[in-house]
Amino acid sequence: MTDDDLITLVRAQRRNVQMTASVEEIIGRGRALRARRRLPGLAAGALAVAAAAALAVTALLPAGHRPGPPPARLAAWTVTRQADGTIKVTVRQLRDPQGLQRRLRADGVPASVTFFGHEPRACQRYPRMSAALMAEVFGGHGPPLVIHPKALPHGAGVQLNPLHHPHGAPIALAAGLVQATTGCTGT
Amino acid sequence: MRWKGVGTNRPDFAEFYRRSKDECLFAVLVSVGDRDTAQDLVAEAFARAWASWRTVSRHPAPAAWVVRTALNAHISRWRRRRREVPLADPGAIADRPTAGETPGSPVDPQIMAAVRRLPERQRQVVALRLFLDLDTATTAAALAIAPGTVQAHLGRAIAALRADLIPQRQKEVPS
Repeated sequence: MTDDDLITLVRAQRRNVQMTASVEEIIGRGRALRARRRLPGLAAGALAVAAAAALAVTALLPAGHRPGPPPARLAAWTVTRQADGTIKVTVRQLRDPQGLQRRLRADGVPASVTFFGHEPRACQRYPRMSAALMAEVFGGHGPPLVIHPKALPHGAGVQLNPLHHPHGAPIALAAGLVQATTGCTGT
Repeated sequence: MRWKGVGTNRPDFAEFYRRSKDECLFAVLVSVGDRDTAQDLVAEAFARAWASWRTVSRHPAPAAWVVRTALNAHISRWRRRRREVPLADPGAIADRPTAGETPGSPVDPQIMAAVRRLPERQRQVVALRLFLDLDTATTAAALAIAPGTVQAHLGRAIAALRADLIPQRQKEVPS
């Protein structure tokens, strides 16, 4: 296979992807955006909401870090129950999400873990999530990720997904709160 | 590149959208990995482009502006609702996606995973040069890097994709 063949193969994938929104829908949304810009009060409100919702920590890997072969000696992830009842999760490679999910559930954490592809459709964002609750459940700033099971409200579960950054670090692990349901977190 | 006809009614925006939407969606999809999320992000980015069309239409590559805006929005969206912890090995997407993990994915999961394993700058160059069909000079202007750097990144990206994809495909077609 030549480079041209490879490029053709990759480019051919574009044919399978189609944007479904009509231009009228796009322009309608654009008009709403422009109208909102003209209302300073609303703009200030949006900034306040964004500031309140922003999480304190975004720990990123150094920009320019080059991917390399996965380390062979270490497990892809480890889950450790600590003396204070917290669960420490260290993810080194995005392998075996089902195993990690089973392990967390076995340790009493309603969890949904997805490393590639779609999140389960049954997973819905926990409606009473707040920055304060996130800090209680996930404690200090990672890594590693530390989960405080006792801080999980009734009906809430943990969702873990990879996060791909177009700028800076290529990949991080994102932890959020979802509604604990059988289809999502197993309970 | 200058899109003519910029005015209150933005008559050229519809043509820009028609010509660019699928390529922009594909470029975002291979970065975010989820079709529904990519659709939402690209739609929002095009809406922002419409709202700022006087500026965006003067951009060296408006489609590149849309892709970059969509990906920035993706970061913002997740930062608002997630706690992020870096992985020890950022190259370790590791598990090759299976059909069960990418239900209904419109893109070959091996190709998507291979592109997502590329370093960020190489992925940007691949998105602009291969997915949006921009030439080297326009890609360089959009990314604010030298044309020679674009060519170097593209060469490395193709080599990485070759190393990633060719062995997999050879395994799938036993001689």
